[in-house]
Amino acid sequence: MDPAYIGFENVTKSFGTVPVVSSTNLSITRYSFVVFLGPSGCGKTTLMRMVGGLDSPSSGTIRLDGEIVSAPDRRRGMVFQSYSSFPWLTVEGNINFGMRYRNDLSVEERAARVTHYLRLIGMDDFRTSYPNRISGGMRQRVAIARTLAAGSDVLLMDEPFGALDALTRERLQVELRQIQREERKTIIFVTHDVEEAVFLADRIILFSARPARILRDIDVAAVLGPERPLEAREGEAFFRLRNEVLHMIRNETGGQR
Amino acid sequence: MASGLFTFRGKSSARADIMLGLGVAAALILAWEAVARAGFIQPQFLPAPSRVLGALWSMTTTQGLLWHAFVSTMRVWVAFLLAAAMAIPIGIMMSSYRVVGASLEPTIDFIRYLPVPALIPLSIIWFGVGEETKIFLLWLGTFFQLVLLVADDMRRVPHEYVEIAFTLGAKPRQVLTDVALRAMGPTLVDNLRITLGWCWTYLVLAEIVAADSGLGFVIWSARRYVKTPEVMAGVVVIGLIGLVTDQLLRAWHRRMFKYL
Repeated sequence: MDPAYIGFENVTKSFGTVPVVSSTNLSITRYSFVVFLGPSGCGKTTLMRMVGGLDSPSSGTIRLDGEIVSAPDRRRGMVFQSYSSFPWLTVEGNINFGMRYRNDLSVEERAARVTHYLRLIGMDDFRTSYPNRISGGMRQRVAIARTLAAGSDVLLMDEPFGALDALTRERLQVELRQIQREERKTIIFVTHDVEEAVFLADRIILFSARPARILRDIDVAAVLGPERPLEAREGEAFFRLRNEVLHMIRNETGGQR
Repeated sequence: MASGLFTFRGKSSARADIMLGLGVAAALILAWEAVARAGFIQPQFLPAPSRVLGALWSMTTTQGLLWHAFVSTMRVWVAFLLAAAMAIPIGIMMSSYRVVGASLEPTIDFIRYLPVPALIPLSIIWFGVGEETKIFLLWLGTFFQLVLLVADDMRRVPHEYVEIAFTLGAKPRQVLTDVALRAMGPTLVDNLRITLGWCWTYLVLAEIVAADSGLGFVIWSARRYVKTPEVMAGVVVIGLIGLVTDQLLRAWHRRMFKYL
């Protein structure tokens, strides 16, 4: 397996004179679930957006599969917290959206993929519903399915479950983890929720307050393993790791409060 | 049943709303009729609605009122469509590319604040008193307003939509047609509807100053002989056309944007 599927090499970013990201080196392996954890507004989102080609580094380079990232394309799909699905398209239309720009798929193949991803997110019955008529959790499912259907290899998720109620969020976390393993995708997931980070991640990158600097690189998969059923969050290992991460955050940012 | 009508921010049925609206309008007309018939006010100042209705009928049969209404409507629509056809692409480009926005904004903002009546003399010098003057004045009154409204609609398209589309493989052109235009659709149609209303304001003005046809001309000629019922009848026709157009556009809006 290629060890540096996504690679950050001395990446920095400033907006005007304000430094947002300090020099960052990081490599992410293919098919791993990496969570960027850090305080709100710390620059972790900017770092993720640069992988998507939506922002460009002030210095340094970002590579995807050896190739320097310069502009967005369908290999890296974004899932946002709000405005995540297009309100003028049905669920089916949303999932089909990215495939309109691929000419390597026949009409039948597209239809088959739409059906496949509708089933994957358990929304076969909502095929013709508009986003305004379904719940917030369903809208995020649609956004995920749309990105997968377009053929993205990497999912870039910016606090996608931040606006959901606790129960829906738990369920979506379990589903996302399953989908990531079944569909073999690489995910960079940004959050400031420690529990969410520990439950989802193979690996947590803990960032400092702005300008973002990597504080810790935590190997969660080594502790919790690859399978994350809902019960995983009740186990002792989960609790211990969660507390450990919380302590790390308190120790590292303690001086700033 | 209709208790929602009296609750703060309450809900009511569409039927109850329509009945109430029509009822109040009918009551106003009846009160007007009563006051006019009581004879406190001279009829050349306040003719009864029944007399206005009579004038409406005689004007339709002998003065070609429908033709005048048709002429006015055509002027409004030609000018409005011309303004919209120019304002929509230019407004979109203003918000899509800074080079367009930055270069046009000061000029458009300046012209936008010029009152249309102030430009009537200039328009007559340029175009004479033919159709061109009327179309030009209506276009002037709507284009510069509309272009800024369109630019604003475009600016308000959530950036998330644009970025999602890019990461799904869309090219800038496709983002424009498949995302931005779709996202701004409802507010764009609303703004077109409102701008069309302004067109009627400027129309009457243009027809009073320089015309031998159209509803503005009809109203102004009737005034010369103090035929108040005819003046009012002309105003009523404009109101009716406005009402019908607005309702049609609203119905179209509801059909087009069912997902809202």
